[in-house]
Amino acid sequence: MQDNKRILIVDDDQDFVEAVACFLEANGLTVFRACDGAEGVRMAKLERPDLILMDIMMKERTEGFFAIQEIRRDPSLRRVPIFVISSFCTRLPDFEIPSSGGWLAHDMFFAKPVDTVQLLEKIHQRISQAA
Amino acid sequence: MSHSAPAPMVVVIDDDYAMRLSCAKILTKMALRAEVFEDGARGLNGVATTKPDMVIVDLKMPGISGMEVISRVHEIDPQIVIVVITGYATIDTAVQAMKCGAYDFLPKPFSPDELRLIVNRGLERRRLALESQRHEIEQTMLKRRFVTFVSHQLRTPLAAVHQYLDVLKHLDQTGDGAARRQEWLGRCLTRIEELQELIADWLTLARVEGGSLFNERIKVDLNQIIAGILKSYEPTAAAENVSLEACLPDEGLFVPGDRNCLSVLFDNLITNGIKYNKPGGKVTISGSQSRGEVVVAVADTGIGIPEKYRPFLFEEFFRAKDDGAKRTAGTGLGLHICKRIVSEMGGTIDVESQAGAGSTFRVRLPAWREPDIVGSQKDAGQQANIDCR
Repeated sequence: MQDNKRILIVDDDQDFVEAVACFLEANGLTVFRACDGAEGVRMAKLERPDLILMDIMMKERTEGFFAIQEIRRDPSLRRVPIFVISSFCTRLPDFEIPSSGGWLAHDMFFAKPVDTVQLLEKIHQRISQAA
Repeated sequence: MSHSAPAPMVVVIDDDYAMRLSCAKILTKMALRAEVFEDGARGLNGVATTKPDMVIVDLKMPGISGMEVISRVHEIDPQIVIVVITGYATIDTAVQAMKCGAYDFLPKPFSPDELRLIVNRGLERRRLALESQRHEIEQTMLKRRFVTFVSHQLRTPLAAVHQYLDVLKHLDQTGDGAARRQEWLGRCLTRIEELQELIADWLTLARVEGGSLFNERIKVDLNQIIAGILKSYEPTAAAENVSLEACLPDEGLFVPGDRNCLSVLFDNLITNGIKYNKPGGKVTISGSQSRGEVVVAVADTGIGIPEKYRPFLFEEFFRAKDDGAKRTAGTGLGLHICKRIVSEMGGTIDVESQAGAGSTFRVRLPAWREPDIVGSQKDAGQQANIDCR
């Protein structure tokens, strides 16, 4: 399973990150971990991942919203697929994403806890589409 | 003055020109806004557009009757206070008007003072009604916010445990996998314990808020309660390399209250003192009584609380973001529960803190007062006097 696709996971629950990251790594993906919105934005700019998994409620705030806005403001990250994984909402949340004019067709929502097999499948699908 | 709310608005509906004029004059002099209308139809239109706080209506008018005006006004806004004016002040018409929803009635002829009195009373009633309505809405919103937040707090640890188990199902469990599984199972247990703690705290809070724990206020010796808590935390404190010290008066510290609540209160404060301490640190509990008040201070030599967080410390689910301090588990409800318990008992709790040097939580409670019966059992709490130093 030779695949050096790069995934960034942003979530303040270290246990959740650990479980999902291990699973993705075991399936041949390279995973970067960030534990809050600010770190997520920094890592996204630094590592230029192929796809981002983003939590919404972090540190008792909706930090995910700001992180997504910030990431999409970066021209080279404007097209990167974002998967929202949250137990806080039940679909892609409705908020302003100024630079890209809203969610992209390849963005997705997953309820937490997430079905990892399905997540993996969608990651592969979206990355090959975006490429 | 430009920022203050506009003056209350009163609508007067009366077919008598002189009556409308004098009412408007009196009301304007009371610094109220007044609008006058000569019949029911125009009056109701006026009510719909001006949205008054109060309507004064003559019962006997051509066209739409006063009684009908009352019910139509309340269809527009049930909180509008209505006063009826009647030239035929019989008990019957008054009762009938009240039944239709009028607040009060004014028999003709009336003096300016009578009008002023009844208007002021009516507006006060309106203010109270609006206030209680607002309070009710605020409470509902607070509750809704609390429920959203709690359900997120409950789901998060469950989701983590679920995720570990879900991934374990798919991963190779041999070799390195076996060690990882052991580690993850340990994490699952920790998360479940956190969840149980949160549920327990939440239930305590619900019981404290329900007030059922305060029906009985018996004479409780805080010395005894504190000694018991300290004893049970000796192993934990030793493991954290924190020493516990009590400095309590030999004669006891008596307050009227509920034993369970007081245990929860000091348990939370002492656990925090240990949890947010430094290795080699100390937790000191000191108590005293003077002028009908019992004061217990729980002081630690721990990480302290930065000043900016102190105003929020007792709010539900507030947790100080650890600035470089160790990550400490907690539900964010402990101090909120303490605050609720203390205020239910008519006391206060506050905190003094120096970031990096430690915090002191000070609880003040009304002291136990012996009933004024001669020959009360003076040594009722005597066996509770344990010297725990």
